[in-house]
Amino acid sequence: MEAKIQVGQCSICFHLSADAVCDICRSPNRDNQTLCVVADSRDVIALEKTREYKGKYHVLGGLISPMDGIGPEQLNISPLVHRVNKESIQEVIMAISPSIEGDTTTLYVGQLLKPFAKVTRIAFGLPMGGDLEYADEVTLARALEGRRELE
Amino acid sequence: MYLKTLHLRQFRNYQNQLVTFHAPKTILVGDNAQGKSNLLEAVELLATLRSHRTSRDRDLIQEGAPIGQISAALQRELGLRNLTLTLRNGSRRTVALNGEKLKRQLDFLGTLNAVQFSCLDLELVRGGPGERRVWVDTLLTQLEPLYVHILQQYTLALRQRNALLRQQSSDPNQRLKSFDPAQLAIWDAQLATLGSRVIRRRARVLNRLTPIAQTWHKAISNRSELLEIHYTPNVPMEADDPGVVQTAFLEKIQQRATAEYHQRTTLVGPHRDDITFNINQTPARQYGSQGQQRTLVLALKLAELKLMESVAGEPPLLLLDDVLAELDLNRQNQLLEAIQDRFQTLITTTHLGAFDAQWIKSSQILSVQAGQIGEDTST
Ligand SMILES: Nc1ncnc2c1ncn2[C@@H]1O[C@H](COP(=O)(O)OP(=O)(O)OP(=O)(O)O)[C@@H](O)[C@H]1O
Ligand SMILES: [Mg+2]
Ligand SMILES: [Zn+2]
Repeated sequence: MEAKIQVGQCSICFHLSADAVCDICRSPNRDNQTLCVVADSRDVIALEKTREYKGKYHVLGGLISPMDGIGPEQLNISPLVHRVNKESIQEVIMAISPSIEGDTTTLYVGQLLKPFAKVTRIAFGLPMGGDLEYADEVTLARALEGRRELE
Repeated sequence: MYLKTLHLRQFRNYQNQLVTFHAPKTILVGDNAQGKSNLLEAVELLATLRSHRTSRDRDLIQEGAPIGQISAALQRELGLRNLTLTLRNGSRRTVALNGEKLKRQLDFLGTLNAVQFSCLDLELVRGGPGERRVWVDTLLTQLEPLYVHILQQYTLALRQRNALLRQQSSDPNQRLKSFDPAQLAIWDAQLATLGSRVIRRRARVLNRLTPIAQTWHKAISNRSELLEIHYTPNVPMEADDPGVVQTAFLEKIQQRATAEYHQRTTLVGPHRDDITFNINQTPARQYGSQGQQRTLVLALKLAELKLMESVAGEPPLLLLDDVLAELDLNRQNQLLEAIQDRFQTLITTTHLGAFDAQWIKSSQILSVQAGQIGEDTST
C-alpha cells in the first residue's frame, strides 16, 4: 500500500495545507538542509509556535504499530527517504514523542536515513508518553536545542 | 501505618458505608456473599490499584450505578493521608491523594501498603507459573511503583511484537513479501531492553525476600524443613547487569527464531518466567503435602509483610480473607505472634468459633450483612 497524497495535504511534507505545496515548503527563508520529522501535523504547529526552528518538516502521518495494522508502508516513510536522498539534506531531526511506538518509529526511520544524512533526535525532558502537542514552548525549544545524534 | 476509616460509595454491594477501625485487629463476620471480601478488595485496590478478582472497573462499581468510590484515611508516621479512588463506568478511573488529583496513577502507589492472604493463595504453590508471576509483580507494585510502568511498557512491546509475528504470512512464498526483518529487529531490541528491566527487578526482590521467608519457614516447621526459592527466568540471568541480560535475551531470540516463526508468538522473555519453591530439595508444587504447601504460603506472606515493613519504614496492613479458619492452631499462633499488635489486620470469617480465643480477645468485631456493616455487640 503506497501512502496517497490526500486533499488538504502538502504534496512534499504532508503537513496540512489548502494548497498543493504548503507555506513552509514554499518559503524561501527556510533552511533547506535541515528536516524535522514528526508524527502528526499538530506537532508541526507546536514546533512552529516556538519560533526556534528554521528548517523544514516531514509529517509521517502516524507511528508504527503492528497491533493497529500500521507498518512503514502505511506511513509517509518512502517519500521521506526519497526526499532526504534527493534534496541533499544535511541533518534530519527526529521529533517524535517517546513511547514504545514512537521509539520504534524513530529507530526504524533513523536507520533508513543514516546512510544519507546526519540523524539526530530531540532531547525530551518530558515523561515517557508526554505529548509533543502538550509540551510548552520553552520545553520544546530546549528539547530541540539539546538534540543528540541517534545511535 | 494505620487505616482509620474506609468509605465505600457504590462499590460492589455497598451503597454508602463508612467504616471506622478502632483496634489493631478487625474481624468481619457474616454469611456467604454478604460483602466481606468486597471490603478487603477495596483496601487491596488502594494498595495496588488492582483487584485479584477482576480487571474491569465496571465489575467493581455497584450494579446500575455510573460511578463508584473508595476513600480512606490512613495514619502514617509522617501524617494523615487521604486516599480516593474513583471508578467510572465507561471512562478512566482517577486517583487523589489528600484531595489533590494525581496525573500519574503510579504516584498513588506506595502510600497504603497491604499484604493479602486468602485461601486462594495456595495456588501460588500449586498453580501454574502465571500465578507466581502475578504474585511477584504485585509485590513489586507496592515496593517499587515504577515497576508498574516498566511492566506495562514491556507488555505493550510484547503485544506489538506478537502482532507483527502474526502478520507474517505462513505461506513461504508470501513470507518474503510480508517479512520486515528491520522492523522485527527493532521490536527485538525494545523487548530485550524492557524485558531485562523486568527480569532484574524480579530477581532482586526475590533475593531480598528469600532469607526472610526461610527464617519464617524454619520457625513454622519447627526447624525440620529447608525452604529454597529459585527464580527461573526464561532468559538466563548470569549477572545483574543490563548489558549482560540484554545480550542473553537477544541471543535466545535468535535461537528461538524458527519456533517463533511457526508458532507466531513471542517465546522468549519474562512473560514466561517461573519461580520454583523447594522443600528439602524437592519441588513443593508437585511433591509438597497440603500441610507443607500451607506452611510455605504462610512463610511467604509473613516474609512479604516484613519486607514491606523494611522498605516502607512502617508496618503494612494484613488482609486475611477466609484463611484463618483453615490454619491449624499451631500456624494460627505463629501468625498471631508474628503480627502482634504491630500489623493492622483485617480478617474475614463466616464463624467466629473456628479460631483461637486470643484472636477474638482484642479485636473489633464487625458484622457484614448484604452490604451493611454493623458493630457487633453480642460478643
Ligand atoms: N458490582 C456489584 N454490584 C452489586 N453487588 C455486587 C457487585 N459485585 C458483587 N456483588 C455482590 O457482592 C456479594 C459478594 O460479596 P463478597 O464476595 O464480599 O462475599 P463474602 O461476604 O466474602 O462471601 P464469602 O463468605 O462467600 O466469601 C454477592 O452477593 C454479589 O452479588
Ligand atoms: Mg469472601
Ligand atoms: Zn509542505
